Amino acid sequence: MLSEVLQGTEPGGFVIIRDTACYSGRRLLKYYINCALKRGEAVHVLGFEVPEHELCAKLDSSCLNLFHFHNAYTDPLGWTKQSSFTVQHFSATGVTQLLQETQHAKTSVLVIDSLSFIVRHHDPVVVCQELQKLRKGGSVRMIFGLLHMDLHQQGVLGALSHLACTVISVTPGNIARYAVANTSQRKKSGKVMQKEEFFTLTEDLTLSIETKPNQSGKAQADLHTESEVDPMSNLTFNLRLSEVEREAKEKVALPFVFSEKKKSALLSQGRGSGRIMYEPDANDDFDEEDPDDDLDV
Amino acid sequence: MFAELNSILNTSPDDVTQRGFILLSDRKADASFLIHHYLSFYLKAGCRVCFVGLVQSFSHYSAVAQRLGVNLVQAREKGQLVFVEALKTSAAVMLNESSDEAAQLFDYLRSPVPELRALFEFVSVSLRQREAEADSSSTPVLIVDDLSVLLSLGVSVGAVLDFTHYCQASICSRLQGSVVTLVRCDDEENEDEDESSSCLLQALSHQCILSLRVEGLQTGYCRDIHGQVEIWWRGSGESVQSQRKIFHYKEEENLFGVPG
Repeated sequence: MLSEVLQGTEPGGFVIIRDTACYSGRRLLKYYINCALKRGEAVHVLGFEVPEHELCAKLDSSCLNLFHFHNAYTDPLGWTKQSSFTVQHFSATGVTQLLQETQHAKTSVLVIDSLSFIVRHHDPVVVCQELQKLRKGGSVRMIFGLLHMDLHQQGVLGALSHLACTVISVTPGNIARYAVANTSQRKKSGKVMQKEEFFTLTEDLTLSIETKPNQSGKAQADLHTESEVDPMSNLTFNLRLSEVEREAKEKVALPFVFSEKKKSALLSQGRGSGRIMYEPDANDDFDEEDPDDDLDV
Repeated sequence: MFAELNSILNTSPDDVTQRGFILLSDRKADASFLIHHYLSFYLKAGCRVCFVGLVQSFSHYSAVAQRLGVNLVQAREKGQLVFVEALKTSAAVMLNESSDEAAQLFDYLRSPVPELRALFEFVSVSLRQREAEADSSSTPVLIVDDLSVLLSLGVSVGAVLDFTHYCQASICSRLQGSVVTLVRCDDEENEDEDESSSCLLQALSHQCILSLRVEGLQTGYCRDIHGQVEIWWRGSGESVQSQRKIFHYKEEENLFGVPG
């Protein structure tokens, strides 16, 4: 499902990648940028959080002429008067203008890195409205936004996620190298699809997906053997039994098992079994007819 | 300066490879020893350092640095160190006893919408001046002790984040230097403030490449070990592989050890 996100053809797609400090979603974002570039689409990045060279690194160098970085990283608030695009310029008209300056004939993809930065400087309601205008405006085919989940209140997260047609939440996985992506996609028909996928992204931005390895034991085993450290090696003791050892082990009777032999030993009236010897003396008032007379029945 | 910490972080004063945003934080413990460590570390490495002291006075840092084998007075006279005596000046600004220049630098104490633009401009000018004077090979470093004090002075989390963003953009990206900041997060304080300092910490951990988190031991007080440090390499852009490790430390002997 992760790899199909970019495939939609209808205009106005909006994808949000939600991440936390533990696992950055920026690499997944770069993967989509790379895919879009390879498809020959112009990619416009509103870069607030990382410098251009960092986002550019490892992208397909043959398609970089389609890559447009609108630098809002060095001067997002206009303090040093270095950049033409600041966070205050973020609005549907502002962004559309920006795209038209370097417009290509082909469809274009808008990447916002990140929505968190914009939400910090604008009212969330305004951000949602402007995003919606951008989608309907028709100047971009798709919008990708990175959103840091742990920095916002639930309401803001919800509002932005409702706007998106695809929400991908990435979290670090338990298995080394693999991260978990929870994708929920809303179709135009209203159908909602959800999927949990385990994925890795290598240095050169190739994506490999494992579908839920913990469901089938085999995939899990594969993942374990792939990981470099094998806990079974270099043990100071023996984990497995040989045939002889197994036979010897099976012969040993366990101490608290009630075997046939034990049972008969307990039931047989051996010589040492207890018996009550009682001789009544003169003081005992023993009634032959009612031996239980002394009991208070 | 802690040799063992340097070896864990795989760096030394002769070879400052790690450049970027380093975040120090503490919780129920005191991480100021790391501030002293980094101050003396970068001065020994010959970097140009701008130090914003919001928690202690110059004489305090100077006394501690002396024990770590660095002379702050000399460094300041040489021009290697720019020390912003924010603790004393803030008080003076509040009481209207300061010069205009200082009042401008600390305008966040007075202006209706506190922002740290003036402070950033001062930092960036002072580091750039040094660039012109000293040999340009030395890297610029900004150390702030500590950011959560700004929150108590009425600056919003957003304004602090804007400040760190600008510092990062100008010092780390443009000048290839480093920024070291400390954020305190304590449970004892009232809830609102604590919430904002943990918000700040959370947001800053998105920006940093290396995070050192000092905590008390979960098992409680111990005579032999003062606490634990979680070292988290987040990696910058290209290498996303992040790595977390926990070490126990003892301050007096500068010991760092693997738990257990």
